[in-house]
Amino acid sequence: MTTLRVVIGCAAMLFASVGVVQTQDRVEAARKAFEGDVHMAAGLQCAACHSGGGDAAASSYAVERTRIAPMCARCHSDPAYMRQFDPQVRTDQYSQYLTSAHGRDMARGELRVATCSDCHGVHGVVRASDPRAPVAPLHVAKTCATCHADRVRMAAFGREATPFADWSTSVHATALLKRGDTSAPACSTCHGSHGATPPGVTEVANVCAQCHVREADLFRASPKKAIFDGMGQAECLVCHENHAIHQPADAWVGLEQGAVCATCHDASTKGAQTINGVRLGLDALTRGLASAESVVERARRAGMLVDDARVMLQEAREHQIQARVLVHTFADKPFADVAAKGLEAVQRAERAGEVALEELQYRRRGLAVATLVIIGFLITLGWKIRRLAAPGS
Amino acid sequence: MRRRLDAWVRERLPLEPLVEAVRHKTVPQHRSSFAYYLGGMTLFLFGIQVGTGALLLLYYRPSASEAYESVQFIMTRVPFGWLVRSIHAWSANLMVAAAVAHLVSVLFLHSYRRPRELTWVSGVLLLGLTLAFGFTGYLLPWNQLAFFATRVGTDMAAAVPFAGDFLVRFTRGGADVTGATLTRLFGMHVAILPMIATVLVAVHLLLVQAHGMSVPPGVERNAQQAGRPIRSLPFLPHFVLRELFGWTVALALLAGLSAFYPWELGTKADPFAPAPAGIRPEWYFLWMFQVLKYAPATLLGIPGEVLVFAGLGIGGVLVLLLPFWASRTDRWRRALVGVAACALLVMAALTVIALMADGGAHK
Repeated sequence: MTTLRVVIGCAAMLFASVGVVQTQDRVEAARKAFEGDVHMAAGLQCAACHSGGGDAAASSYAVERTRIAPMCARCHSDPAYMRQFDPQVRTDQYSQYLTSAHGRDMARGELRVATCSDCHGVHGVVRASDPRAPVAPLHVAKTCATCHADRVRMAAFGREATPFADWSTSVHATALLKRGDTSAPACSTCHGSHGATPPGVTEVANVCAQCHVREADLFRASPKKAIFDGMGQAECLVCHENHAIHQPADAWVGLEQGAVCATCHDASTKGAQTINGVRLGLDALTRGLASAESVVERARRAGMLVDDARVMLQEAREHQIQARVLVHTFADKPFADVAAKGLEAVQRAERAGEVALEELQYRRRGLAVATLVIIGFLITLGWKIRRLAAPGS
Repeated sequence: MRRRLDAWVRERLPLEPLVEAVRHKTVPQHRSSFAYYLGGMTLFLFGIQVGTGALLLLYYRPSASEAYESVQFIMTRVPFGWLVRSIHAWSANLMVAAAVAHLVSVLFLHSYRRPRELTWVSGVLLLGLTLAFGFTGYLLPWNQLAFFATRVGTDMAAAVPFAGDFLVRFTRGGADVTGATLTRLFGMHVAILPMIATVLVAVHLLLVQAHGMSVPPGVERNAQQAGRPIRSLPFLPHFVLRELFGWTVALALLAGLSAFYPWELGTKADPFAPAPAGIRPEWYFLWMFQVLKYAPATLLGIPGEVLVFAGLGIGGVLVLLLPFWASRTDRWRRALVGVAACALLVMAALTVIALMADGGAHK
């Protein structure tokens, strides 16, 4: 019996010592990470977060998940305190968080939803504007995907996971990740950051309209607005989808298989003529532009100065962009006018390219004639030189 | 009637001595006689530059806001403007090549010997002037590549001890390359340099006429040993017709280059844009550009750029004063030819390396 007590005592001491070592390691890792932390730079110490807010009983190394957001809010929701670090700083993050899906679930005691430290980090927190931050434009989608792309984790909430590839193959991701355009939207741009909530059917168009103002205005003024509202369809998403928003193509307009319009329309439905007319206009512009670009490029490669033609091509491209935007009117008239202007610019550009190529031919013919004259002169000169008397001494 | 007109002209224009001199002038004939045509070729290309430059002046506007557009106008709207501008640009490059070839041939044939020392000095100064024409003309279209190359080129002057900062400000007309630099370089290109060049060309030609064509020492010696005079060619019409033949070929070459490879204009200079890839000076400055790349940052506490410029400066002075220090013995002359050939090979290799590096940067 005594032996058993000794063994149990030793085992308890061993587990305790292992626990102490692990805790020491965690503290050391936290201390190291905190060295680059924005809070440390602001003069805060460990106790600022780990003191339990003055509540001695709550003081612990680890802050409970439900207490993290209120703890951060102690400073970040206090304008008078935060102003000393940045006079422009926002202090509404906590109030927004409370309205978010994350905040509401957390308030109900659901510990698996995101809180401040899940997105911003724990001890190595950097400013959101710092490119290294997990919430910086280039990283925020990956940060959200940690949970939202995880099927098992999302299934626990009765929600479908959003594959990261949906967004990462979109035009928005291409602009952000490949071109480095940090104004391109990632998750938080459409869903909000601290107040993140999936937009409802009626709100989606407002979200897209933040950037796509002209398209949204045209759509709202079109007859489609009332039809989609009546069907309970989420406007933009019907044609463009939500996360996997791909580069729109002219082929989307049409009645053949694969065209977006063909989802609802066929040759017998109202609007078929408009759809075909718009598609013909778009195709004519694209074909015309390709042909004019080819002529102008040939002239440029031959060394001709084709700046005027390039300005006309640019004008035609701008009309093409406008025409594509006017597809959102779902009507013939404004589209046809702009497409006609685009085609007229295309023709001018092509003509300017042809004139440059004609000029090139003219130059080469001129050179050929000049070369013949020069060769004739050289032959005469050579003949004269040979005929001259042998050089004297 | 014709006789009376002739007499009237002779009375008012006493050119008889000059005509007589030209009539009796002869040019030596030997296996290296081709070298005598290089000076004439350079002069012909200089004439082309003056002619085409004067035509370009009718439309060119020397200001930062109008220079690029005016060249664009010349290239697209002015009848044969493209031809005049392309010939001006191509001829400038051929003129540098012809001037260098002329100088090298004079060096290799030892034509700088007494009493032609001053002919050599005026020739070296003319080559320097030709390069200055190239440098000052490069910025005039006010395109992106020329803008940044001029910024780098003028920056290099800062390495000159004591006067570096002054030289940079003097060349640029301010602290940086601006419209003031363009106006300043334009003034140099069309007024100051042509004025100096005209005087120097006149002196050079006068000296050439006064001393006649030089005969290489070996040819001279062989003729003396054989006891026969050196064969020669009458200047008029034999030599002049041959010269005319070469000029006509050069004209055909210029026309062909201009028609098939019109000189590019590039994009308009934007001082606020990042420097484009492949900034480089004209091909004849590339070897210096490459030497500067290889120069160490500092050597014995002296900045590498200062050392390079000191070396180039000493080299330039040695070349300019060559007739005054070069020995007259055959052994020394052979050694000089060897050193000059090695220097030319190194310069050519450095130019090729710079061109290849530039080609790689564009891939």
